[in-house]
Amino acid sequence: MTSAEDAVAPEPAARGRQRLRRPGRSRAAYAFVLPLLAIFAAFYAWPALNTVLSSGFEWGLINPWRLTEPGSWEFVGLGNYSETLGSESFWNAVVNTTIWLVFFPLLVTGVSLIVSILIWFAGRGLAPLLFRTAFILPMTISLAAVGVIWGFIYNPDPDFGLLNAVVGALDLDFEIDWGPLHLQTGQWLSDLGSLDLGFTELRLTNLSLIAPAVWAFIGFGVITFTAGLTSVDQDLIDAARVDGARLRHVIRYVLIPQLRGSLVIVAVVSVIFALRTFDIVYVLTDGGPGSDTEVLALLLFKQAFVFLDEPDAGLATTVAVLLSLVLVAGAYPYLRRLLEGTPR
Amino acid sequence: MRGPGRSRASMLALYGGLTALSLLWLVPVASAFMISVLPQEQSRDGWWSFDLSDLTFGNYERAWNEGLSDYVLNSFVITTLAVLLTVATGVLAAYAFARLRFRLKRSTYFLLITTMIVPVQIILIPMLPWFKTLGFEEGGLQYVGIVLVHTAFGAGWAIFMLSSFISEIPDEIIDAARVDGAGDWGIFRRVVLPLTVPGIVSFAIIDFVFVWNDLLLALTLLGRDYQPITVGLANLQSPNLAQQDIVAAGSIIAILPPLLLFALLNRLYVRGLFAGGLKG
Repeated sequence: MTSAEDAVAPEPAARGRQRLRRPGRSRAAYAFVLPLLAIFAAFYAWPALNTVLSSGFEWGLINPWRLTEPGSWEFVGLGNYSETLGSESFWNAVVNTTIWLVFFPLLVTGVSLIVSILIWFAGRGLAPLLFRTAFILPMTISLAAVGVIWGFIYNPDPDFGLLNAVVGALDLDFEIDWGPLHLQTGQWLSDLGSLDLGFTELRLTNLSLIAPAVWAFIGFGVITFTAGLTSVDQDLIDAARVDGARLRHVIRYVLIPQLRGSLVIVAVVSVIFALRTFDIVYVLTDGGPGSDTEVLALLLFKQAFVFLDEPDAGLATTVAVLLSLVLVAGAYPYLRRLLEGTPR
Repeated sequence: MRGPGRSRASMLALYGGLTALSLLWLVPVASAFMISVLPQEQSRDGWWSFDLSDLTFGNYERAWNEGLSDYVLNSFVITTLAVLLTVATGVLAAYAFARLRFRLKRSTYFLLITTMIVPVQIILIPMLPWFKTLGFEEGGLQYVGIVLVHTAFGAGWAIFMLSSFISEIPDEIIDAARVDGAGDWGIFRRVVLPLTVPGIVSFAIIDFVFVWNDLLLALTLLGRDYQPITVGLANLQSPNLAQQDIVAAGSIIAILPPLLLFALLNRLYVRGLFAGGLKG
């Protein structure tokens, strides 16, 4: 550490000196980046390239397609893409993923915004810190464990599943049919109900899977919004209050505009999360019952790794490519922000 | 006191509401914990009406002896190696990205950053054959394989976070060292590295939590004897639906290491996520 301390207090002569010019291109730079780039090239770039190229072939993992001998399987061009885009299981997964894509970011952003503002109003001290910790804590839990834990809560047996015990004790169980909407309590993971949109039917059981994900992911929003709120000028709030502004006006016209940047981050990151979702679905329902809760990431996994005797890996790669394209497009504003920090 | 907190009553309502909500938020973890420390007969007859004298650690003992210990060991091996390798290669590269000039810097930076957004599925499917080609599909070399994949996938976060920490070091300090005759390596080792320790710890915690919690890569790339606890939990979950006591104990064991890290180094963890979320 001594050398660092020396460096922190540079010689007066050096401190007075004008800023040195940046050195030119440095040979050493390549040595610094090489280890990481080599690993990145071998275990990211190369397999990703393989994924894209092999999506032009019909192949299965029993005898995998290889770039070195591409002719071992039949080249189908864009055939896998047209087959995927024409398949029922793909569109079923798209519908389920869309439910995630709508509800997950909305719930994460909304709930964590409300929670963060409430805690911010509670001020500083031990209690607000503990509140914040309670919401951040589930973020450290693996989604596989989140699935297991919520499996207990959702258990249909009212002597074991907490949710059904509470619903039973408070006499809250119901079954409703409002036109296209069918909703019922009790069988949380097998049949929560459905909403008929005419062109497609939404399986509401997906919502039972979204809830644990929201529970686990709120912490990210709380951290991000809290950081945004620390920069809010307290005098501004006081001035507004003195002028007789109502609380909801303060929130609407003072706090929310300050949080615009944080809102974009939370929304985009939760969109990314929703599109990638796999673990919770895999653990809680494995896409069932039937394929009611099968999302794109799970469909791809099953095509490639579960039904090994069918050469569907090519189809799985097309799903991976399409998913990645949608993600990069959807996350574009976030990517832009990330790249604004590009070093010179 | 802020905003609406002028009146005592509204402050009381705020604190009361937040307390209730925070407790509600912890119910899922608390219920798994209760199921894990009660005998199965008791928890299947309403675990919320428990008797303190029924509490037992027997479930943990059985879970541990029925194979969970291997999963936990695998988790530690994979996570430790992956974090070490990601930090080591990441901080070297981050220094170059933050402080040095070289060809193709912007485009390599862009490529690395995309790993933060592109899903792991883009490399998943051809990975197994690629491991076979490299000889990583059997024995302890499986650890090496998955550690390298985790490093590749952590690369974006590593570069992004660590280079932002390194660029916060004032230019004068680096320039002073250069005046003293230090080369790039000397500056890195004696100036940049010591000053980046808090940033490295922040990143290491986040990477630890990330790798420890991975399910998908481990599920597809590793054989039975090399799988981590997340896969162990998923395996336990389905065939042994009757063994809720063991599954509950397993889930608590799986939660503990990242949770302890979070409890001990809370500030650094949050700070790291700040950097990731906000600087961007």
